[in-house]
Amino acid sequence: MSQLLERAPIPADAAGRGSGRRPATRRQVMLRRLTGLLIVVAPIAWALHRAVPAGTDLVNRGGLPLLAALFGDILHPALDPTFLGLVVHAAGVTLAFAAVGTVGALVIGMLGGLVLSDVAWRHRPPWPVRMIRLLLRLVLVAVRSVHELVWALLFVSVLGLDPLVAVLAITLPFGAQTAQVFAEMFDGVPPGPLRALRSAGSRPTSALAYTLLPKSAPLLLSYAFYRFECAVRSTVLLGVVGVGGLGQELVVSLQSRNWNEVWTLVGAVLLLSALVDLWSTRLRTDMAVVSCTEWSGGHEQRDPGGPEEENAMRGTGRSRSPWARWSAWVVLPGFVVAWLASDVSLAGLTSPRTQQLTGRLLDDLWPPALPAGGWPALSSAVLDTLAMAVLAMAVAVAITLMMAPLATTPRRGTSTDRIPLAPRLFRGLLWWLARALLLVLRSVPPTVWAVVALLVLFPGVLPGALALGLYTGGILGRLVAEAWESVDTRARDALRHAGVRRGTATLIATVPPSTHQLLTYTLYRFEICVRETAVVGIVGAAGLGRLLAENLAVFRFPVVTALLAASFAVSAATEVIGRRLRRAMRP
Amino acid sequence: MSSPTPVVKMSGVGRSFGGHRALDGVDLSVPAGERMALLGASGAGKSTLLSMLNGSLMASEGVLEVFGQVLADLSPSALRKLQCRIGTVNQRLDLIEQVRVLHNVNAGRLGTWSTTRALVSLIRSRADDEVRSALHNVGMGWALHERTERLSGGERQRVAIARLLVQQPDLILADEPVSSLDPARAAETLELLQAPARGSTLIISLHQPELARQYCTRAVGLREGRLVFDVPTAELDNARLADLYTLP
Repeated sequence: MSQLLERAPIPADAAGRGSGRRPATRRQVMLRRLTGLLIVVAPIAWALHRAVPAGTDLVNRGGLPLLAALFGDILHPALDPTFLGLVVHAAGVTLAFAAVGTVGALVIGMLGGLVLSDVAWRHRPPWPVRMIRLLLRLVLVAVRSVHELVWALLFVSVLGLDPLVAVLAITLPFGAQTAQVFAEMFDGVPPGPLRALRSAGSRPTSALAYTLLPKSAPLLLSYAFYRFECAVRSTVLLGVVGVGGLGQELVVSLQSRNWNEVWTLVGAVLLLSALVDLWSTRLRTDMAVVSCTEWSGGHEQRDPGGPEEENAMRGTGRSRSPWARWSAWVVLPGFVVAWLASDVSLAGLTSPRTQQLTGRLLDDLWPPALPAGGWPALSSAVLDTLAMAVLAMAVAVAITLMMAPLATTPRRGTSTDRIPLAPRLFRGLLWWLARALLLVLRSVPPTVWAVVALLVLFPGVLPGALALGLYTGGILGRLVAEAWESVDTRARDALRHAGVRRGTATLIATVPPSTHQLLTYTLYRFEICVRETAVVGIVGAAGLGRLLAENLAVFRFPVVTALLAASFAVSAATEVIGRRLRRAMRP
Repeated sequence: MSSPTPVVKMSGVGRSFGGHRALDGVDLSVPAGERMALLGASGAGKSTLLSMLNGSLMASEGVLEVFGQVLADLSPSALRKLQCRIGTVNQRLDLIEQVRVLHNVNAGRLGTWSTTRALVSLIRSRADDEVRSALHNVGMGWALHERTERLSGGERQRVAIARLLVQQPDLILADEPVSSLDPARAAETLELLQAPARGSTLIISLHQPELARQYCTRAVGLREGRLVFDVPTAELDNARLADLYTLP
C-alpha cells in the first residue's frame, strides 16, 4: 500500500498530451452538454410550436363518441364463421404477398450486392464498370428513399388493383435496401480463400459461390427472414391502396366503422406479426446474430473485428441448429406456395396496356410542377414533414424509455445477484407485458394509428406525429431493448465485486453505453421516420404525404414529381446529417 | 539443339506500390522440374514475386513469362486457363471455413469445372476417387465429410496440400508455408509438398536455410526487392546468408 502511495505521480505529459490528446476542460464538457441539450430541445420546441399553433382547436369533440365506441367493442370482436373465413383468407394473401415480395427483394439484393461489393471485383474495375456501379448506387438510393406505399400508389395508376402492385411495391424498395446490406456483408467476408481460388484459375462465379455463399449463408438466411418480417408489416400497410390482404380489410372495416370487425382484424394482424417476429428472432439467435440491430443499425454498433462479429460471420455452433436448417429448407417450397396463392402474374408487366399507361405516366410526370400555392405551400409541407418526424421521435423515445428497460431480458450477473422468486416472477411478467405492448405498437400499421388519431384530432401535424410515434416506439423500443441486452456488463460485475449495490452498479456501469445506443438508434430511426411521414400523410395527416395523396387523387402527376423530388431531398439531407451525427457519436 | 522453354522467365521485372519498390529489375529463369527456394528477410519482395508468378499481381515493368506466355499480354480467360496450371499454398492456407473438407479439396479443380457443376458440387456432397485418393495420400482419408473449421492446424495444412494434389499443377508456389511451424511440423509439411511437386516445378519462399538445403536444389536471395544471389543450395554459405539477413 505504502509502495503504491509513494510511487511518483504520472507526469501530465504522459497521461494526456503524450498520447496526442489535449485534456478536456470542465468548461468544454459543460459546453458540449449544453450543445447536446440544445440539439435535442430546440427541434422539439420548434416542432411543437408548428404542430400546435396558438388559438387553434386540436381536439375534434365530435369524434370522441366514435373513439369511445371503438374501445367499447374491444372485448367483442366479430367471430362469426363467415367473417373469420375472410380474415384467414386475407391473412394468407398478406403472407403470400410478403413472401413473394421478399424473394424478389432478395434476388435484387443478391445481384445488386455483388455488383456493389468490392470483393466481387478482382482488381479495380475499369471506368465503364465504375460508372455503372455509381449509377446503380444512385438508383438504389433513390428507389429506397420512396416509401413502399408511394410506390404502390404509382403502380396502381399503371397496373390497376393487381396483386403485382403489392409485390412490386415491396420488392423495389426492399431490394434496394437489401443490395446495400448484402454488399457490406460480402465485403466483410475475408478475401483470402477467394483470392486463392481465383489465382488457381477458378471461374469468377464459381469462386464467388464457393467462398461467399458458405461464409455469408447464415447471415443471408437470417436477413431474409428479417426482411420477411418487415414485409409482412408493410403488406398490411399497403391495404390502404386496396390491393388486398389484412390491411385492406382493416381499412374497409375502419371506414365502415365496424368496430367489432376492426378488433378481430387487429387481433389477426397481431397474431401474424407475433408469429413471424418470433420465428425471425429465433433464427437470428440461432445464427448468433444477436439482435435485429445488426441489420437495422447499419452495422455500426459492433467492432468489426470483435468476437461477436467474428462469431456472427463464422456462423459457427448454433448456426447449424435444426431450426435454422428447417427454415432454410422451407424457403423454396414456401415461395412456390406463396407464388401460387398470391395469384401474381408477370404478364401484367409486359401487356400493351401497361406499356401504354407507363408511357403516359412517364409523360405526365415530366416536367415537374409546383403544387397549388407554389413554393410557400411546398416549403410549408416540407417543414410540416420535419416537425411531424421530430415529434414522432419524441413520442417514440418516451415510449422506449418507459418500455425498453422492462423489455430487456435480464442477464445473470454475479453470484451475489440471486434474486428471490417473487420479484423474479414479477420482473418476468413485466417483461412479457412490455414485449407484448411493443409488439402491438409496431404491428398495427401507422395508417391505422393515424385513422384512430384522426377520429379525435383535427388533421394536421399532431395526429400524424402521434400515429408515427406509436408505431416507431414499438420498433425503437425493441431495437434498444435488444441492444441493451448486448451491453458489456463486466464493469457492472466489477463494481458488484467491489461491494457496490446492484442498482447503483447497474446505473453507473450500464447507463452510459445504453444511452449511447439509444441516441444512435434514435437518429437512425429518425431518418426512416422522415420517409414514413408520407404514410400518415396519405391518410390525411399533413406534410408532403398529404399533398402527394391529394395530387395523386386528381392525377396531377407533374406536382407528384416535384413532391417526390422534395421527399427525396429531405430524406437524403436527413440521412447525410444523421450519418454524420452518428459517426461523431461513435466512441 | 535448343533448350526447353523455362517454366518461369523474368526480364527486368519490377513492381511498385505507390512510392515503394517491392521488386526491382529481377532477372530469373526457372527450368521445368526445378526445386527453388526464395530466401530473404521479411519485406524483401518474396511474396510480391510469387503473387506476380500466379497472375494475382501484374508487373509494373519488365517482361514476365510463365510457361512461355507473357502474363501481361494474356486475356482474362487465357490467364485463367494458365492459372489452372499453377498451384499456390501459403501460410494462411486460405481454406473455406464453413464447408466440408471435400469441398475444399474440390476447390483445387474449380478452374476446370463449369459454373453449374461448381454450384451443384456445393450442394451434393459426393466425392470421386481422385478426391478420396488425394486425402488418403496426405493421411486425411477419414476427414472427407468433416467440417473444415473443426480441423486442427496440422490437419488444415494437409487439406491444403490435398487441394494441390487434385489440381495437379505444373508449377507450385509456396509462400512461407512453414514459417510459423515447429521444426518437426515444418519438415512434415515440406515432405507432404513433395507429392504434388513430383514432376512439377516448385518455388518456395523460406526463412530456414537448412530446409532450403534439404528440400531444394537452387536458392535465390532477395534483398529490398533486388536479386542478390542465385546459386545451387550446395553453395549456400553463411556469408551470403549474413548479407541477406543483415538489417540495413
